Amino acid sequence: MKRMMLALAVLAILAGSAYAQGTIKIGGIWTLADITGKQGSAAAQLAVDEINAAGGVLGKKLELIVVDDEGKADKAAAAVEKLATVDKVDVFVGGMASGAELGKIPAFKKYGKVVMSTGAAGSATVEKALGPSPESDFYFHLHPWDYNQGASYAEGWNAIQQKYPNIQIKKIFLAYEEGAFGKSSWDATKVLFGGDNRYIVDGASFKSALLGGGDYTAVLEAAKAFKPDLFLWAGYDADALPLLEQSKAMKFSPGIYLGAPPGWPIGFGSSKLSRNVMLYGMWSTAMNDNNPASAKFYKNYVAKYKEEPATYFAPLAYSAVYILVDGIKAAGTTETAPLVKALEATKYASPLGETITFKPSNIIKHQGITRQKILQWQDGFQEVIWPFEAATAAPVYPFPAWK
Amino acid sequence: MVVKRRTAFIVALSAAAVVALILWKPTVLIYGLQAAGLYAAVAIPMGLVLGIVHIVNLAHGEFMMVASYAAYFGCRALGMDPLLAIVPTAIVTAVFGWIMFQLTIRRALKAPELNQLILTFGLAIAFTQSINLIFTSQTYKMPLDYVSASMDIGDLTFGTWSFVFVAVAIIFAYGLQLFLTKTTTGKAALAVGQNPRGAAIVGIDVYRTYGLVFALALALVGAMGALFLTKSAIFPSVGSPFTMKSFCLIAMAGIGNIPGILGASVLLGVAENFLRAFRPTRDWAEIVFFVLIIVVILARSLKGRKS
Repeated sequence: MKRMMLALAVLAILAGSAYAQGTIKIGGIWTLADITGKQGSAAAQLAVDEINAAGGVLGKKLELIVVDDEGKADKAAAAVEKLATVDKVDVFVGGMASGAELGKIPAFKKYGKVVMSTGAAGSATVEKALGPSPESDFYFHLHPWDYNQGASYAEGWNAIQQKYPNIQIKKIFLAYEEGAFGKSSWDATKVLFGGDNRYIVDGASFKSALLGGGDYTAVLEAAKAFKPDLFLWAGYDADALPLLEQSKAMKFSPGIYLGAPPGWPIGFGSSKLSRNVMLYGMWSTAMNDNNPASAKFYKNYVAKYKEEPATYFAPLAYSAVYILVDGIKAAGTTETAPLVKALEATKYASPLGETITFKPSNIIKHQGITRQKILQWQDGFQEVIWPFEAATAAPVYPFPAWK
Repeated sequence: MVVKRRTAFIVALSAAAVVALILWKPTVLIYGLQAAGLYAAVAIPMGLVLGIVHIVNLAHGEFMMVASYAAYFGCRALGMDPLLAIVPTAIVTAVFGWIMFQLTIRRALKAPELNQLILTFGLAIAFTQSINLIFTSQTYKMPLDYVSASMDIGDLTFGTWSFVFVAVAIIFAYGLQLFLTKTTTGKAALAVGQNPRGAAIVGIDVYRTYGLVFALALALVGAMGALFLTKSAIFPSVGSPFTMKSFCLIAMAGIGNIPGILGASVLLGVAENFLRAFRPTRDWAEIVFFVLIIVVILARSLKGRKS
C-alpha cells in the first residue's frame, strides 16, 4: 500500500512538472475591487482563452495567474514577488493606479521579466522610477503618460476648431477635484492651454464625492461667472451625475461640457443629463461599427461575461495579452532579451482603434499609445469625435441649454 | 437680566448677519442651509444612540451606506423611485439594526469604551469591505429629474431639491423630541439614557430599550440612506465621512442635545459655504468644521470653569 502511494505521488509530481513545461505563465496584477481591474483581468483571461482555443503559443498553453494588489503599493510589490518566485511566471501584465505601479517597479527590476503595463499615467513618479534605457527596457507601457494625454487634448481641440468653424473656444474653465489627480490636471491645463495667450484659462477646486465631498455649488458658481466656452471637470465617476444635476439646477450650460473621470458610473448613458457631454477616453462600443478588432473583442467579452466592458481598461488588457503573445511567437521564447527585441517590432491592430507600436517616450524606450480620444455622449453611447480617422460621429455643438 | 440682554444681543447679531448675507451673498445662506440639512439629518440618529445607549457608533455612516445600496438595488429591481423606498428601507434597516445590536453592540455595552470603539470600527470596515467585494468600487447613481428643480429670483438661480434635507432634519429632530417626551417608550428611553440602573430598578427592561433605540436610529439612518440616493452617487466608502462629521456635530451640540444638532449644522453649513464663496478661502472650507468644533468646545469649557 505504501509503495502504491509513493508511486502515485511520484507520478503526480512528474505529471505536474510535465504540465508546467507545457505552459507559459502570465502574471497579472490588478486592483480587483475596482471595475477597471475586475474587467481588465477578465478581458486578459478572455484573450488567454481565445489563444488557447486557437492552439496556444509555441505548442504550449497559456495560463493567466491573477493577484489582487488592492490598489496599494506594498501589496503590489508583494504580488510581483509571489508571481515571480512561487508561481514562476514568464511575463507580467496589468496595472492601473500609478501609486500601486510605483510599488512594483523595484521588484520588476529585480526579476527583469518583460512587463506589459496597462495603466499608470503618472510620469513624475512611475516613469521617473523606471529610469532610462537600458535599465527599463523590459517595461512596455501601453497607456499614455499624463503629458501624452495633455498634448493630445490640445491637438484634438485645435483640430476640432479647424474642422468645425462653428466651434470656437476662447475661455476654458477647469473644475478640478482637490486631490492629486485634480491638481495635476489643473497644473497641466494651465501649461497646455494657458501658456500662449490663445486661451483664457481659469479654474477652481471642489471636493470629490469619492473623498467625502459632493457639493459642487461653489465651483459651479465660479464657472458660471467666468462664462467659459469649454467647461472641463476633472474628478471621479461619483461626481458625474450630481455635477450635471447641480449644473442643471443652476442653469449652467457652457458651449462644451466636458468630463474627464477615469470611468463613468453604470447607466450614465441612460440618463438624459448625459446628452452631448464630452469626455476623454480610448475606446467606446461605437467603434465596433468601423473597427473589426473592437467588434470581435466586444462580442466575445459580452458572450463570456454577460456584461459590457465599462471602461477602456478592458480592451487595453486584452490587447496587452495579444501583444505579448505575438512577441513570444516571434521571439520563440519568453527570455527577456529576445522577447524585448521581438516586441520592439510590434504592429498590433488593436480594438482601441489604432495600430500599437512602441516608441521612446520622455524617459523610457517602449511607449505604446500616446493619444487619447475626444468622445461625446450621444443618445446613450460614447461616440468618437477625434481623432477624425477613428471618428464615429460629428460633434453636437453647443451643449444645449437646460430645459 | 444680564443673560436676557446677552441673548437678545446674540439674536440681533445673528439676524443682522443673516440680512447681510441675504443682501451680499445669498447663495452662501441658501447652500449653507441645504448642507446643514443633510449634515443634521444624518447626525441626529447618531446623537440619539450616543445620548441614550452611550455608544459612539463608528459604523454610523457605513450603516447609511448599506441602506443606500439596499434601497438602490431594491429600486432598480422594482422600478421604484427612491422616495418610495424610504419607508421600506427604514423598516429593513430597523430590523437589521435590532439584529446587529443583539449580536454585537449589546455584548460590548459593559466593556471599556475603547472596546466599543474597536467593535463599531470593525463593523464599519466589515460593511465597507463586504460591499466592495460584492459590488466593487463602481459607483451607482439614480438619474432623477426632480433633483434638478430650481428657482429664479432676479439674476439668481439655485437648486431647491436639497431643501428636502432641511425638512427631514427638522422632522427627525422634533419627531424624536416628541417621541422621547410624550410616549411611554420614549420616556423609558430617556430614563434609561439618564440612569440605566435606576431605570432597571423601576422595572424598565434596559437592554430591550437600548435595542429599540438602536433600531429606531437605524430606521432613521435607513430612511436617509434611501433619500441620499437622490443627492449622491453611492460607493463602498461613501458613508465614512458622515461618521466623522456627525460625531463632530454632536460634540458641538452637546451629547443628548438633539435640537442643538440643528443649530450646530447651520453654523457649520453656512461657515463652509461662506469660505467656499471666495477664491482665497475656498480651500479652507474643510478646516472650518474642525476649527469651529475646537472653538465651541473651548468656549464651553471656559464657561463651565467660570460657573
